[in-house]
Amino acid sequence: MRAEQLAEQVPTVRPATTGAEAARVVAEYRLSGLVVAGEDGVPIAVIPGSQLLSLVLPQYVRDEPNLSHAYDEQGADELCSVLNRSTIGELLDAKRLTAAKPPSVYPEDTLIEIASAMDAGRTPVILVVDRTGGFHGVITLSRVLAAIATAAGQDSPLVRRRLERDVLHPHDSG
Amino acid sequence: MSLTAWLAIAVFATAYIVIVTEKFNRTLVALLGAAAMVAIGSVRGHEIFFSEETGIDWNVIFLLFGMMVIVGVLRQSGVFEFLAIWSAQRARARPFRMMVLLVVITALASALLDNVTTVLLIAPVTLLLCDRLALDPVPFLLAEVMASNIGGASTLIGDPPNIIIGSRADLGFNDFLVHMAPIVVVLMVVFVGLCWLLWGRRLRYDPERAKAVMRLEPRETITDMRLLVRVGVVLILVLVGFVTHAVTHLEPSVVALLGAGAAVLVSGLPHPVYLEEIEWETLLFFVGLFVMVGSLVHQGVISELAGTLTARIGEDYASAAMGLLVGSAVLSGIVDNIPYVATMAPLVYELVGPAPGLPPGQQSLWWSLALGADLGGNATAIGASANVVVLGIAKRNGHPISFWMFTKYGLVVTAVTIGLCIPYVLLRYFVLA
Repeated sequence: MRAEQLAEQVPTVRPATTGAEAARVVAEYRLSGLVVAGEDGVPIAVIPGSQLLSLVLPQYVRDEPNLSHAYDEQGADELCSVLNRSTIGELLDAKRLTAAKPPSVYPEDTLIEIASAMDAGRTPVILVVDRTGGFHGVITLSRVLAAIATAAGQDSPLVRRRLERDVLHPHDSG
Repeated sequence: MSLTAWLAIAVFATAYIVIVTEKFNRTLVALLGAAAMVAIGSVRGHEIFFSEETGIDWNVIFLLFGMMVIVGVLRQSGVFEFLAIWSAQRARARPFRMMVLLVVITALASALLDNVTTVLLIAPVTLLLCDRLALDPVPFLLAEVMASNIGGASTLIGDPPNIIIGSRADLGFNDFLVHMAPIVVVLMVVFVGLCWLLWGRRLRYDPERAKAVMRLEPRETITDMRLLVRVGVVLILVLVGFVTHAVTHLEPSVVALLGAGAAVLVSGLPHPVYLEEIEWETLLFFVGLFVMVGSLVHQGVISELAGTLTARIGEDYASAAMGLLVGSAVLSGIVDNIPYVATMAPLVYELVGPAPGLPPGQQSLWWSLALGADLGGNATAIGASANVVVLGIAKRNGHPISFWMFTKYGLVVTAVTIGLCIPYVLLRYFVLA
């Protein structure tokens, strides 16, 4: 299986998107990471989904995790509203989020090349970009693992259906 | 003096200046300075490792190491967070009352733990409380770190300069309690008044916000009650060990090491947890400093300097004590008080020798050094390691404290506290002695 076959278009957010909206996008589409795109729609940053959790945690709670136990339910819910106060761009600028420049693979790259690039970049999402700079889409961690599981003989009906719909016969799905 | 002695002075001065400018990692500079001392032939392995006067002071290193391990285990229990939130609720979340209780807790904790650890523990929970009350946390953080520097002065283990002085002057835990704690209690009372003048009178109480603090659940922060009880007992035994030194003749470093071992045993924690709390960098910084200063002692530079000073002082120890008290306060504001005391302790040793058995007038030099260096640490943002740590925490949490903002308040607090120490030293060691 090649990178081109696995590439898909996933929902992206813009730097102006608020943290709360970004969390909704990740939850709604069950994404493993948040893809931040520039004005031209090309991804400029990939943020692992788990990092969004850290946004609701004040720095002092991250320094001293015991303090998380001190909040009652109301206090904890109040903290979550902090996500409405900042945009993803602001959070990236303030280094509250760390996003690596998204790593990319070529469309003709194999599963192992994709796995290697994702492993080295420690990213749940990777871009597919050809040698002329043309953007083909992104590959998510769950899709790579589905392809790896299939190649390894772990043939689950759900995984096969997903790959058949998205990868093996992409034109039939529309 | 020999050429090697002059080279040693050059190495020492260069390393000192580079440490003060804070352009490079201070531990790296101290270790490079130590290496340079060896390279110029100023000091050799035997002096470094086996000499009490010219080598690494293992009592200091292992006392710090042992206490770091004990604190590393104790902090896992969440007891400090509990105390801070509990006290805020006892103050009904009224800002100044809360500040006073936090300041008192910080000073007490600093007397038993080192200052950096104390502020690392108290600052996050202070930020939480201020966040809940929509208050600026900066006055609280400033008050706490200054209370930590004052409170730490009261015991042998409260402030690293005291550990160095205790080891060099052969002063024990009880000596510090008898000579330092009384004036520190007075200073803390005055400091609370200063807190009102500097910050407290401008703090506003918001009953609605106060409810958010009253709803916090302090008991939830104690994650392991069994651990707290067990390590609490070990800490009490360690304090008993310090206090009963005259009977047991156990060095403070040995007591701390035994306590560390016991804390690790009774906690059952995996080693990465308690080893994480050990500030290896600080310990190595001490090692580098001891080698550099020891080299100066070995080359006779310190005794030369002491000889000159002795000729000037003559029998006028009162003036010498005042000079040392005020001079140490000024210099500790400019240089971190750890390297300052590491350099000055051998000098005072040359001047008057170990403290036990000295007449009060001569012994006052040791206490003047301790008071000046500990309290002078409050003068500027770089005067003590705890200040640097608090500035870092404040910045990370979006409340930066500038060097000058710290210094503006720090100078007032230092001037008042040192001003009170002058009559204390004069009365206790000269007039009433």
